[in-house]
Amino acid sequence: MRTGIPARLACACIALLLCACTGFAPGNPPLALYQPGAGYRFETLAQEDNPDELFVIVSFSGGGTRAAALAYGVLEALRDTRISWHGHRKALLDEVDVIASISGGSFPAAYYALHGAKIFDEFPQRFLYRPVQSELLHRALSPASWPKLASPDYGRSDLAAQYYDREVFGGATYAEVIANQRRPFVVLNATDMSSGAQFPFIQDQFDLLCSDLAGVTLARAVASSSAFPGGLTALTFRNYAGSCGYRQPSWVQLAAEDHALRANRARSARAQNRLSLAATEPDAEPTAPPRPLRPYIHLTDGGVADNIGLRGPLDAIGSVNHPWSVLRLMNNRSIAKLAVIVVNAATHPPSGRDQSARVPGLIDTLKTAADVPLDNYSADTLDLLAAAVNQFNEEARLLEACARIAGTRCAPDGGAPHRVELYPVEVAFDYIAAEEDRAWFKNLPTSLELPRESVDRLRSVGRRLLAEDPKFQALLKTLQGCLPALGATC
Amino acid sequence: MEYVIVSFPTDRLVYIDGEQNGRTNEVLRVDAGTHVFELGNLDNFQPAQRKLLVQDTSVLAPLDVAFFRKEA
Repeated sequence: MRTGIPARLACACIALLLCACTGFAPGNPPLALYQPGAGYRFETLAQEDNPDELFVIVSFSGGGTRAAALAYGVLEALRDTRISWHGHRKALLDEVDVIASISGGSFPAAYYALHGAKIFDEFPQRFLYRPVQSELLHRALSPASWPKLASPDYGRSDLAAQYYDREVFGGATYAEVIANQRRPFVVLNATDMSSGAQFPFIQDQFDLLCSDLAGVTLARAVASSSAFPGGLTALTFRNYAGSCGYRQPSWVQLAAEDHALRANRARSARAQNRLSLAATEPDAEPTAPPRPLRPYIHLTDGGVADNIGLRGPLDAIGSVNHPWSVLRLMNNRSIAKLAVIVVNAATHPPSGRDQSARVPGLIDTLKTAADVPLDNYSADTLDLLAAAVNQFNEEARLLEACARIAGTRCAPDGGAPHRVELYPVEVAFDYIAAEEDRAWFKNLPTSLELPRESVDRLRSVGRRLLAEDPKFQALLKTLQGCLPALGATC
Repeated sequence: MEYVIVSFPTDRLVYIDGEQNGRTNEVLRVDAGTHVFELGNLDNFQPAQRKLLVQDTSVLAPLDVAFFRKEA
């Protein structure tokens, strides 16, 4: 008996070592040939009865189950919002064209991309009411997971991705989302650890890696988007750049060359990021296969680059060089009304540190150093949306004022730019009027499990905050719309 | 935001950086930076394309991107 224990320990150690030496298994297959008209792209999704004329973008922020439940509550409210559009009554949800999501918000976004309206029957039981965090912790601590976790190529987020794959997304890949052939175009966002740039899960981005997004599981995309730094690890993707005949769009070189002119810093940075991901070693043998300069891409939580998921939509609204450029649609006079609904689950729990003369501790200081820039950046992002809306409105004001002063039409020789009505809507705990109520929501933790009552309150407050937003009310007025109270009808 | 007006004697589709973006003789919105402008349909215009840096424009003073009918 005594000799058996060391033998078993030795066997366990060998097993651990063998597992630790197991090679990296990429979760993203290579793309055989670059096909700009194929894969998960905005322009390849059928519009059916969702024309661009009323263009609705929704962004879901990070914040664990708190963010997922708030986003889900807003989805329920959009489903129940009835509007009149060209003589038909329909749900506003059926007019949503794009959903951009981060971290916790990526769970309902991905589920909706995969299952559409079935989300309302399944998602609460499959995710919102589940103790996901405890189940993940249980799996991480289980000896059965140790061999895998001992591998340097396998992290806690890989384990989380396997759990989501089995328990939430049923093994589904992007191929199933593509097969649905319907809007909204759902963009889950992670962060490229090395560049700090946002990394959207769309084929346009995977083209750079010569990888086929159709073969990536929704679970792995969501796990990347929600790889909360510290608690969860980054996820690794293989870069096959140079192997599929990919060609950058023509604007990339122009924008990269503009860098020295400082003409448009953000556009040049987007170009540089694309070039960096697709770069191959320049001095490889002519007959040898191309070798990417960055053979592996490590993705962490989308909240690191943008915690409210609004940067992608802002780029799309402000640039003709974007994979789903809204500005291009405006130039083509396709859009008459543009609504941007930001669902922001940001909190601000009271710290209590100012009640004492004690010097704040290391953890408190490090947490502040991580949270404060992120919160400030989110505030700046919201200001950018307000500035963009103001700029569009100012165009019209300038032309009207000029016409009044000059007594003639002021649009230069040609017609005025296509006028678009803008509706920036924000669902955020900051707008809860009752102080006690607001404090309760702003004190909720960032976790992948919350009590059922908290989830239900979040669903309910999402609906209420949407209904109370002044711009949402203006949108409903122009669309003869109605959002009934929970359990009521219009 | 920057503004351009791609001028041509007749109505044509406008391509900016290879993507269709509005039509000739109307003010179009673009982001600041260097862009390549082309016209669609027939090839009876010149130059074939124009590469221009667009910056410091306003809706009241857009950059004029002029194309001309090619002589027969």
